[in-house]
Amino acid sequence: MSDPLKNLIESLIFVSQEPATLERLQAVVEGVPAADIQAAVDELVADCTADGRGIHIIRVGGGWLFSTKPAHDREVRKLLQIERKNRLSSASLETLAAIAYRQPVTQSEISAIRGVDSTGTLKTLLEKKLIKIVGRKKAPGNPLIYRTSDEFLLYLGLNSLDELPSEEEIAKILEEEKAADA
Amino acid sequence: MTGAAEALPLEDPAAPPVPETPEGYQVRLDVFEGPLDLLLFLIRKKKIDIHDIPIAAITRDYLGYLDHKTEINLDREAEFLFVAALLIFIKSQMLLPRETDLADGEDPRRVLVDRLLEYERIKAACSLLREREDIQILQWKRDFIPPLHGESELEPVELSLFDLAESFFLMMKRRASVDTRTIRGRDVSVEVKMKELVGLLQERHVIDFLEYFEAHASLEEALIAFFCILELVKSRVAVAVQDELFQTIRVWLRKDARRTGAHE
Repeated sequence: MSDPLKNLIESLIFVSQEPATLERLQAVVEGVPAADIQAAVDELVADCTADGRGIHIIRVGGGWLFSTKPAHDREVRKLLQIERKNRLSSASLETLAAIAYRQPVTQSEISAIRGVDSTGTLKTLLEKKLIKIVGRKKAPGNPLIYRTSDEFLLYLGLNSLDELPSEEEIAKILEEEKAADA
Repeated sequence: MTGAAEALPLEDPAAPPVPETPEGYQVRLDVFEGPLDLLLFLIRKKKIDIHDIPIAAITRDYLGYLDHKTEINLDREAEFLFVAALLIFIKSQMLLPRETDLADGEDPRRVLVDRLLEYERIKAACSLLREREDIQILQWKRDFIPPLHGESELEPVELSLFDLAESFFLMMKRRASVDTRTIRGRDVSVEVKMKELVGLLQERHVIDFLEYFEAHASLEEALIAFFCILELVKSRVAVAVQDELFQTIRVWLRKDARRTGAHE
């Protein structure tokens, strides 16, 4: 693998607003085997993590993106003149988690899981583009079906839905909570 | 996500669990995400095995909390009451005599337990997702970076009289809702106010529209001052400028007018 390729890949990831996937990179850099591109990316990722650079390449939403490091958040916000980023409300997060794990789901299914009407939080999540409507269910009333969006993966820094906390991780948390209660 | 339960004042374990006395600690229902959240809290507090819930005891606790509600919100209340009804239904099912013993899967509590377990898992997942969110929120990617204000957007916009009037009435409306006192205003004439305003503009060069009016005690005086500003802008003695939509409006004398100091 030659250095020019690495430099080129770095540029492409740098300008990407959406995760640069291997397929897209390959389509741009014609005639280069995927393995070479992957190797170039791997090297770039290592470069950014190894020496003390301010930005790093993250694996997210099936591709790669440059991002700043958490330690610089305050100054970055100062530069961009942003007070602070709001976290999701617990109701929103709960609804989002219910959708993430049970998708595709309808509003009534989500509300049943939470025991609370979720129409409002669904609207908020749609506005934030963290979820999307993928169709209607062939059931009485033809309710809308929701799924998490690509922005959802980006928002939580997940490469794919497979990276959602697993059943084992969840069980571990529950064990810990129970141990803390006892 | 575990915050709701932890944030609650803990009860002395030795004290009788529930019902709490009205003068005892109050738990606001709205700290719970919903009825299932409340139920889980009660189950954990009493260290009950979720697969073997003593329905009568839990129902009593649950209803005890509902009695302590601080305000009535019909939508939320319906959800809490629904689960209360479910609890009572389950208890009634358990009390009914049956000819044959129930098989394991036929426990009337099963419906509730399944829901609770599912909700518990979602809540645990939430705490893990929250951790991710907290890390991600500190990392800036290109698509999350809002565009910086371009040069052109910073160009102040000169406002029409209508814009001024609209801001004024909006502000007065806001003011009316905050301040309910009535103060008899002193009589102010437009002439006096005009002189005062021009003087102020000459002295400070620029005044903040909102600040200026908020300083006025009475509506009448504010109205007169507002007419003065309208008059000054109309006769092109002063300029009213707004940097951006919904931001405050600044007023200053036009350069040529500043020297003469009068609008007539």
